[in-house]
Amino acid sequence: MSAERVLRVLVAEDGAADRLLLAQIVRRQGHEVFTAQDGEQAVALFAEWRPQLVLLDALMPVMDGFEAARRIKTLAGETLVPIIFLTSLNEHDALVRCLEAGGDDFMAKPYSAVILGAKIRAMDRLRRLHATVLEQRDQIARHHHHLLNEQRVAKAVFDKVAHSGCLRASNIRYLQSPYALFNGDLLLAAYAPSGDMHVLLGDFTGHGLPAAVGTMPLAEVFYGMTAKGHGVAETLREMNAKLKHILPVDMFCCALMLNLSYQRGTVEVWNGGMPDGYRLSASGEVLSTLESRHLPLGILSPERFDDSTEVFALALGERLLLLSDGVVDTCDDQERLFGVQRLRQVLAANRDPARLLQELMQALERFGGRPRDDISLCDVCMVEPQWQAPMPMPDAEGARSSPLHWSSHFELRGESLKRFNPVPYLVQLLQEIHGLRPSGGLLHTVLSELYANALEHGVLGLDSRLKRDAQGFADYYRERGQRLARQDDGFVRIDLDVEPMAGGGRLKIEVRDSGAGFDVARVLSGQRQGQAFSGRGLSLVRSLSQGAEWLEGGRCARVVFCW
Amino acid sequence: MAVESDFSQDEKKLTITVKGRFDFGRHQEFRNAYERQPIRPNSVVVDLKDATYLDSSALGMLLLLRDHEGGEDACISVINTSPDVRKILAISNFEKLFDIS
Amino acid sequence: MADMHIDPKILSDLQEVMEEGYLQLLETFLEDSERRLSQLHGARSAEELGLAAHSFKGSSGNMGAVGLAELCRQLEERVRQPSLYGIEDLINRIDLEYLEVQRFYCAERARISAG
Repeated sequence: MSAERVLRVLVAEDGAADRLLLAQIVRRQGHEVFTAQDGEQAVALFAEWRPQLVLLDALMPVMDGFEAARRIKTLAGETLVPIIFLTSLNEHDALVRCLEAGGDDFMAKPYSAVILGAKIRAMDRLRRLHATVLEQRDQIARHHHHLLNEQRVAKAVFDKVAHSGCLRASNIRYLQSPYALFNGDLLLAAYAPSGDMHVLLGDFTGHGLPAAVGTMPLAEVFYGMTAKGHGVAETLREMNAKLKHILPVDMFCCALMLNLSYQRGTVEVWNGGMPDGYRLSASGEVLSTLESRHLPLGILSPERFDDSTEVFALALGERLLLLSDGVVDTCDDQERLFGVQRLRQVLAANRDPARLLQELMQALERFGGRPRDDISLCDVCMVEPQWQAPMPMPDAEGARSSPLHWSSHFELRGESLKRFNPVPYLVQLLQEIHGLRPSGGLLHTVLSELYANALEHGVLGLDSRLKRDAQGFADYYRERGQRLARQDDGFVRIDLDVEPMAGGGRLKIEVRDSGAGFDVARVLSGQRQGQAFSGRGLSLVRSLSQGAEWLEGGRCARVVFCW
Repeated sequence: MAVESDFSQDEKKLTITVKGRFDFGRHQEFRNAYERQPIRPNSVVVDLKDATYLDSSALGMLLLLRDHEGGEDACISVINTSPDVRKILAISNFEKLFDIS
Repeated sequence: MADMHIDPKILSDLQEVMEEGYLQLLETFLEDSERRLSQLHGARSAEELGLAAHSFKGSSGNMGAVGLAELCRQLEERVRQPSLYGIEDLINRIDLEYLEVQRFYCAERARISAG
C-alpha cells in the first residue's frame, strides 16, 4: 500500500463487537484506525487526530451520528472529510436525514469487507480530487494577486512616462481611459526650446503589457529630441528607427504627431495609421481632417521611412482634435460601431469647446456596449505665443572648464540641405560654453530663424509674402518641399566665433546662404505695418540678441550674444 | 477551415484564403500556410473574399508574411477585399507595402 | 433458512478477517449480547424496544447469527404497528434463539482456546 493511500480512519459505532469487527476490517485494508463508542467521543477524536475518513453509526447514545456528522463537517471546514454512515435504516426519511447531516455514503450491516473496501477507495479518490481543486484554487488566487501587483507597479512606471511632459498646459485638454496607456495608447506633449509644442498620440498594436512595453523607448526619444530642439521629421525618423529595431516584425505603432508653432500660427502634421484628426474652428465646425498618409512607425527601414509632413495655418482659437481608434471602434451590444458619423454629430452638436471631450465620452457611454480600455482624446487649441522662460536645456555634466576661444564653421550643401537640420547639433555644441547654458532656448530660436531664412528665402527663393493666409500657407510649404527636393547646388554656411571678454565672453554667429539676398530695410520696416508672418522672424532675432545685422545684401546674417 | 492554402506549380504562386474573422485566433494557421511550403513561391496572394473582419493583429500577420517572403523583395497581393477591410488597410497605408485590390 | 442458527460462510469469513482477534470478538459479542437482551426486556416504550431490536439485529447479523437477526428484524417492524399484541411471544422466541446462538459461540470459544 503506497504511503498516500494509508488513511487515518475514525470508526464510531456503539456496539462493541461491531466496532471490533469494523475496525479490524479497515485495519486489514492497511489503514490506521481510531475507534469511538458514541457521538461525543467521535467528535473529540476527530478534533484531535483529524482522520481523513469517518465511519459513523447513525444511532448512538450520548450524541447520535447525525449530530456528530454535522459537528465533524463544521470542524473540517473547507477540507472534504467523507463520512460513511453505518446504518441498516432503510426508511427513506432516515436516509435523507443522513444526507442532510452531511453524510456522503451509506454502509449496511452485516459489514462486507469487499464493499467497504470499494467505498473507502471511492471516497478517498473523491477526497483527493477535492484537495487538488482547493490547492489549485489557492495557487490561482496567489498567482492572480501576484499579477495584479506586477501590473500595479508597471502602471505606476508607465504613468510617469506620460506625465513627464506638458500635457497640463492650459491649451491642452485630454481624456484617457484609466488603462489606456497600459494598452499601448500613448499621449505625449512637450515644449521645444523655441516655444513650439510637440504632441504625439500613439497606439501600439496589441493590448496590455506587450503593447505598453514599446511606449517607454518611444517616449524617451520624443522627450529627448524635442527638448534638444529637433524637428518633427527628425524625431519621427529616430522613433521609427528605434521601434523598427526593437519591436518584432508584426508589431508597430500608429502615430499622429503635431508641431504647434505659436510664433508662426502653424501646425505641422504627420499621421501614420491613426484615425483622422480634426481641425476645428473656434466655434467647433470641422474645417479639415488630418488624414493618415503614412505607414505606422516601426515597419519601414530607416532608408525607406517617409518623414514628410503637412503644414497648415492654425488661427487663434482654432483647435485640433485627436482620437485613438477605441473611440470610433466602440461597439454596442448588437456589434454596431459608433463610427465616424456619430462622432461628427457630436462635434456638430457641441456648443462649448470646453465640454467637447466630456460630451464625446457621454455619447460613447449612451451608445452602450462594453466600455473600452483604449480610448484617448486630445484637444489642442492655438493660443497667443506666451513667451515662456527659456527652457533649461538638458544639461551635460557641469564641467569646470569650458572652451572659450574658438571658431568653427559648417557648410551644408546639396543632399545635406535636403535632409539634415544642423541647428540642434550646433546648439548642443554651444551648450558647452558655461555662460551660454541658460540661453539655450534663445540660441535655438535665433539659430532656427536664421537657418530657416537662409534656407527658405535664400537658397530656395521662397517669398514669405505667400504666408498671408491659410491657403497661402499650404501653398508655401508645398512649394518649399518641391524646391528643396529639386535643389542641389545651394549652400548654407554657418560660422561660429567665440572669444573671452572681461567677465564673460562673446559669441558671434554668421549665417550665409547662396541665394540672391533681400532688401533688409524694406522687410524690417514692413514689420511695423502689421505684416502678420514674414518680418516677425527678423525682429525676434533682434530682440533676443545683443546685436543683429544683415550684410552682403541680405545674404549674410550676423548675430552677437554676450555674457 | 478558416485558412486554406493552394500552391500553383506552373505559376509558382501561393494563394492563402482566409475566411471569417481575420484576427489573432488565426495566427498559427496563417503562419503554417506559408511556413510549411517546401518550394519558395515567386508570388503570394492573400484572398479575403470571405473575410468578414480584419484587425491590427491581421496587419501584423501580413507583415510577418512579407518578412518571410523576403521583405522588400516580396511580391504579395491582397485581393477581393470588402470595403470595410479595404478601409482598414487604407488607414494604415498598407498599399505602400502590398498590392491591394 | 429459518432453522439455521449460524451462517457458516459468514463465520469463516469472520475468522479470516479477525485473525488473532477472533477470540476477543466472540467474547465481546457474548458480553455485548447479554446487555442487549436486558435492554430488550427492560424497554419501557415502543421506541426504546424498536431501537434495542435494531441494534441487536445489527450485531447478530455481523456475527452470522442469521436466525437471531431475522427475529430482531421482525420485532423492529412489529413495534411500529399501533397494537403491541403478540410482542411478548416474539421476545420469547428471541430469548430462545439466543440461547442456541450462545451455546454455539461458547463452543467456538472453547475450540479456539484449546487449539
